[in-house]
Amino acid sequence: MMGGEKRGLWAIMVRSLAQIARRPLMWVAMLGLPLFLFLFLTTMLDAGLPTRVPTAIVDRDGTSLSREVTQTLGGMQMVDITTTANSFSEAKKALQEGKVYGFFLIPENFQADLLAGRGPAISYYTNMAYFVPGSMLYKTFTATAVYTKAGVAVNVAQSLGVNPADAVPLMQPVNIQTRGIGNPQLNYGIYISNSFVPGVLQLMIMLVTCFSLGEEIKRHSSVHLMRMAGGSVYKAVFGKLFPQTVIWWVVALFMEAWLFKYNHYTMSGSWLWLTLSELMFVVACQGFALLMFCIIPNLRLSLSVISLSGILAFSLAAFSFPEQSMYPALSIFSWMMPVRYNFLIYANEALAGRDIYYSRIWYVVYIIYMVAPLAMVWKLKREFEKPVYCP
Amino acid sequence: MKRIKDFILGLFRVYCREFKLILSDKGIMIFLLFLPLGYPIIYSLIYNPELVKEVPFVVVDHDRSTLSRKLVRELDACDEARLLGYAADLPEARRAMDSRQCFAILEIPEGFGRKIGRGETGAGAMYCDMSLLLRYRGFLVAITAVMQNMGAELLEKDINTFVPLAGTIATGNLLPIDSIPMGNIRSGFDSFIMPGVLILILQQCIILALGMAGGARHERASVVGYDPHNNAPSVLATMIGKALTYFTIMGLPAVFMIHYVPLIFTFPMAGNLFEEILFITPMILATIGFAFVFQAFVTERESVFVCWVVTSIIFLLISGLIWPRYDMPPVWKFVSGLCPATWGVEGFVKMNSNGARLWQVSHEYEMLWWLTLGWWVVAYFVQRFIVLPQTLGSRPRRREASRLKAIRES
Repeated sequence: MMGGEKRGLWAIMVRSLAQIARRPLMWVAMLGLPLFLFLFLTTMLDAGLPTRVPTAIVDRDGTSLSREVTQTLGGMQMVDITTTANSFSEAKKALQEGKVYGFFLIPENFQADLLAGRGPAISYYTNMAYFVPGSMLYKTFTATAVYTKAGVAVNVAQSLGVNPADAVPLMQPVNIQTRGIGNPQLNYGIYISNSFVPGVLQLMIMLVTCFSLGEEIKRHSSVHLMRMAGGSVYKAVFGKLFPQTVIWWVVALFMEAWLFKYNHYTMSGSWLWLTLSELMFVVACQGFALLMFCIIPNLRLSLSVISLSGILAFSLAAFSFPEQSMYPALSIFSWMMPVRYNFLIYANEALAGRDIYYSRIWYVVYIIYMVAPLAMVWKLKREFEKPVYCP
Repeated sequence: MKRIKDFILGLFRVYCREFKLILSDKGIMIFLLFLPLGYPIIYSLIYNPELVKEVPFVVVDHDRSTLSRKLVRELDACDEARLLGYAADLPEARRAMDSRQCFAILEIPEGFGRKIGRGETGAGAMYCDMSLLLRYRGFLVAITAVMQNMGAELLEKDINTFVPLAGTIATGNLLPIDSIPMGNIRSGFDSFIMPGVLILILQQCIILALGMAGGARHERASVVGYDPHNNAPSVLATMIGKALTYFTIMGLPAVFMIHYVPLIFTFPMAGNLFEEILFITPMILATIGFAFVFQAFVTERESVFVCWVVTSIIFLLISGLIWPRYDMPPVWKFVSGLCPATWGVEGFVKMNSNGARLWQVSHEYEMLWWLTLGWWVVAYFVQRFIVLPQTLGSRPRRREASRLKAIRES
């Protein structure tokens, strides 16, 4: 190796920074990809909710009443009647081909049966293979059906001599308004971005941590690193990783500003605690990856494990499917991902504006992630001094 | 004639050598066997409970009437919700929600029962935690059902008080409403997301494996443990040979994913397996072309992890599974059109979940063949003018190059 090299923590940090600066891959991994994904996720979900879901109507009746129903449906904000089908099978074909996400079916003799009190059924079909448009349609179709029913009932009551003003509340005696705390418009961007963006950050932090440590072993430069650290593996690892921490901090703060300031996602809690959470989250992710690398000090294997867990974290950390509903054997893993705690703190602080008292434990868990690898780092000493690369 | 024979011979040699290389490489084997066989199982297990049931809620009942209790009882009886208990006031209920004991608060104001008795509308409010939309959706579905049921019951009972004989006409359901979910008839989360995710996993396996193989070509043979050079005299023959290798190896895992995983986890399986295989073939070919292009960016085996794993998130969101394609911003819609998995997911979900036949997804099928053509053309130029010179740069590479040249001249 180079003779007369500099030693000490400072020199290691400078070396670590130079390694990052020299490799385009590091630029991509630490800045390019995270920033691209932040931009991608937020712009992709910019609209908040998919509106104007393509829909078909099957009007087998063709009377003034059935046309009224069609008009009610067409007037709804969420749907766009793109297809008028003549039969159920025609509408089903359109649904299979993905031209529409659902359809509303008015049966034959609808008006006549209704007036005769034979109780004709209106039915609606939603394609739940596409959850979001399917759910939107379900909501809209239900509203249309209920309005239609109410309208019919008011007509019937009126024909029996009830005052229309009295009849209206009669049709909806119970009315419970559902209110979403922190996200009343059901903005999909708020929902997805706030969990997926930190998830992306976690994945990249863990991959880069493992990759940069493993590269030292692969390229046998860890011997040099250990010499610079005077044989102290703690000094070597700290000096190696701290410059990365600082870069990640900048990225994390940018992420926070991007989400809550630029995109104006709900922020009803304390900036101080949220910022602290993001900063601790970065170190916790590094701690998690370092622990993994200490347990499996093989570049490819540890990267495989990190990739697997980092991608599974998007499901396991219960961003979409609640941890309480998972199998207990799997929901344990939910609590093993740093990003889970980031998500819980975000939900408490930013979304619901809860007191810090309710999040206190999540911050403690961050500290555990930071401290845990310290107990294992000694294992790296041998690996660093006698590096062996297994492809 | 001889040129054709040489071409096929070279292609065949590449095929055989690549097979050996892959089988002896643990890293690539993980991507080609563990990933497609193990990952879908883990993933499906996470979401396998399908439905979000019995989410706890707390009631703040300022009314304490028969009707308010009936409302709570009916909501509790819904599959989606479970009554955790009554709270004295809103702050107490909030404390339960803040400490994550419940995820919704139902507040019933004073006079709720009396208003309904007077023939007015009894209003109330349900405050939902919004961290997960599935929980909110469950509460919404449950409360809507309860409102409709109670409304119908009350109507039937009360209409006689308005008009004595009305009951005879209005008994029974005046206008029954049927809601029928299609494709994913249980409206389960696993059945919704997994058919698409399976296709995404298939794409990612191929790209990761080919990426790692491409990275290996840059490494010294001594580091990697074998000679990662496997070139035929013609670039195209090399590409076709390798593509055939991956196609052969991926065949069984692909069938496992599109047929056996749905079978194990009882996902919708409305499609015809033979047609699905026909459909998935161009997707695999297009993905291989895509991966050949990607090889230009991988100069080291392990860098595939760092620069490719995170793209799974992009492909998932861009595929139209989570956010419908018709409503995407135009830029992303265009980008999504270039990804083989987008059309793969679209077509496969339609076939597998909605029971579409191959000719009903002809647009997706055509797009996959066009993508195959497009990516392969780009891949040829990338392999010829970027990857080949890159990998033949250093000294051992030059030795390789002269050997190749000798082969070519002989």
